[in-house]
Amino acid sequence: MSEALARLSVDHPLVLWLLPLALLPLLASAQRRNPVAALDAAPADGLSRWIGGVLRAAGLLAIAGLVLALAGPSRQGETITRTGIGAQVSILIDRSGSMNETFAGRQPSGAEESKAAASRRLLADFVGSRAHDLFAVTAFSTAPMLVVPMTDRHAAVRAAIAAIDRPGLDYTNIARGLAMGLAQFGAASPTTSRALLLVSDGAAVIDPRVQETLRAAFTRLRPNLYWLFLRTKGSPSISDKPVGEDTPQAAPERHLDLFFKSLRTPYRAFEAEGAQAVADAIAQIERLERDPIPYTEQRPRRDLSGLAFGASLFGLLLLVAGKLAEVDLRRKAVAVAPAESAPAPTRRAA
Amino acid sequence: MREAGGLPDIVYRPRGRLPGTRIGAHRGRDAGGPGTFRDQVPFLRMPDARRIDVRATLRDPFEGTIVRRFESRTPTEVWALLDLSASMLFSGEADRMTLARALCISLAASATRIGDAFGLLGCDGAIREDAVLPASRARSQVARVADCLKAAACTDPRADGMAQAAGRLAGRPKIVFLVSDFRWPEALIAETFAGLAPHDLVPVLLADSAESADLPEWGLMELDDLEGAGRRLVFMRPSLRRRWIARETARTETLRRIASAHGRPPFRLAGHFDPDAVSRHLLGS
Repeated sequence: MSEALARLSVDHPLVLWLLPLALLPLLASAQRRNPVAALDAAPADGLSRWIGGVLRAAGLLAIAGLVLALAGPSRQGETITRTGIGAQVSILIDRSGSMNETFAGRQPSGAEESKAAASRRLLADFVGSRAHDLFAVTAFSTAPMLVVPMTDRHAAVRAAIAAIDRPGLDYTNIARGLAMGLAQFGAASPTTSRALLLVSDGAAVIDPRVQETLRAAFTRLRPNLYWLFLRTKGSPSISDKPVGEDTPQAAPERHLDLFFKSLRTPYRAFEAEGAQAVADAIAQIERLERDPIPYTEQRPRRDLSGLAFGASLFGLLLLVAGKLAEVDLRRKAVAVAPAESAPAPTRRAA
Repeated sequence: MREAGGLPDIVYRPRGRLPGTRIGAHRGRDAGGPGTFRDQVPFLRMPDARRIDVRATLRDPFEGTIVRRFESRTPTEVWALLDLSASMLFSGEADRMTLARALCISLAASATRIGDAFGLLGCDGAIREDAVLPASRARSQVARVADCLKAAACTDPRADGMAQAAGRLAGRPKIVFLVSDFRWPEALIAETFAGLAPHDLVPVLLADSAESADLPEWGLMELDDLEGAGRRLVFMRPSLRRRWIARETARTETLRRIASAHGRPPFRLAGHFDPDAVSRHLLGS
């Protein structure tokens, strides 16, 4: 209660010096006065006393409300931290040119949808299914692009995801993408569950020097890592060993998978070869990420002068009703002809 | 009897026969002089040869001499004892002070015309010396009363001076008009009436229909006490109006009870001043 009071503030505190004026109705009454010979001629009446009290209070309310409203009261905005069920999810989306193709590896035509469009559709459902998830969206191709930082504004996140089926660019530089995706996890309590969702249709070689940096970041943040691998039909799977030399250059997907497994963070890879598989994978991720998460809620500053004006109006309406109900003791100008007003006898000139 | 101004005089008759040797307008206790025939007495009881009743003397079997006696006419004094407390400023259907002033002036005119003296005694918390006029038979007393009452201000919230007024009216019985709205404590009313008991007391209750019968049925009224008892909001409605009128009736009844015990019931002066109504009341009771 006192905390709620402490957040009240006014724009013009000096106006509040006028507040003692609100006591005026205790001294004077707005009603028309009827002089009577003796007050106790009127019988004592509880209802009348009550109405008198109400009118006085209405006058008080009207003046106090006006003064308060002129001072411009408001409740300051605040940030409230609450705990809900959800996770910090950093979505890292591959925007390389191949994402524009269908799962069959062709340019989409007719009713077909590209990998980007399918992931857009399914991810959009994922975002916003739970109220307290925090999302960050990062896209990457040759260079990573920060699309939306970690936020609980799901509309913004959905808008970001809606944009991922724009035609992609160039190559896949997964190392820098991962670095930026990890950078989105802000400082949060250690109990917060974090998830890094990597959506890509291919992989690339990660420089061994960069590998160390990434490994350190993963160790520090300990996110749950999900790799949604949109496999084009016919391309090598994550687990496929190449026929020839088993080098990262020959089988980047397999080596990326191995790198992820070596991170000692919870890691799962989903290999999807169609829209349905993508949907299943996302549903599974959603089931896995169920932990309490502290989330913050922004309460905007609220102008309370309307409330004050309303209270004042209420008081004024009561006063006007009191004025309209006013009656007088009957008064009539009756000519009481006193003897002194006898006309003086006029003198006539002879 | 009618004055040039148009208002008739107030006709009053004192209770009983008045003592006194001066010639006036009312029945005197003493016999003598010209006047209404009173009785016949033996010559030795009133040895006035001018009034020998020849017929009665001849008719008397004991051969005594009979003398006629006539009532002497004596004057009296009329006093107006006027309440000048702040409640007299009330103005409803009529202005209360205007009514009282008209009554006093009319009384002064009526009294001085028939040779009675008229005196005025204004009281609030004490006797108001600025509103005191000694009794006088001069016709100019009317103008003096008018001037005096024109200047008199009603400010004091109390009327305790009324009880002290009896001391000023010592001596032979007088006709005393007690002019007030009688919004006093009942004890003060009783004390005042008891103090004035030797006189022929005529209470004049200044009432106003705005205070009782003409009260509004519905509405809010902010009452402001003229005697400084504060303000109060009253929500008028038929039930409250009935209670109010019943209260006023009870007050008037109390006054009537006390006044009747001392001779005459109060005269209710409300609305406008009618001298004939006062005369009827005085002759009727």
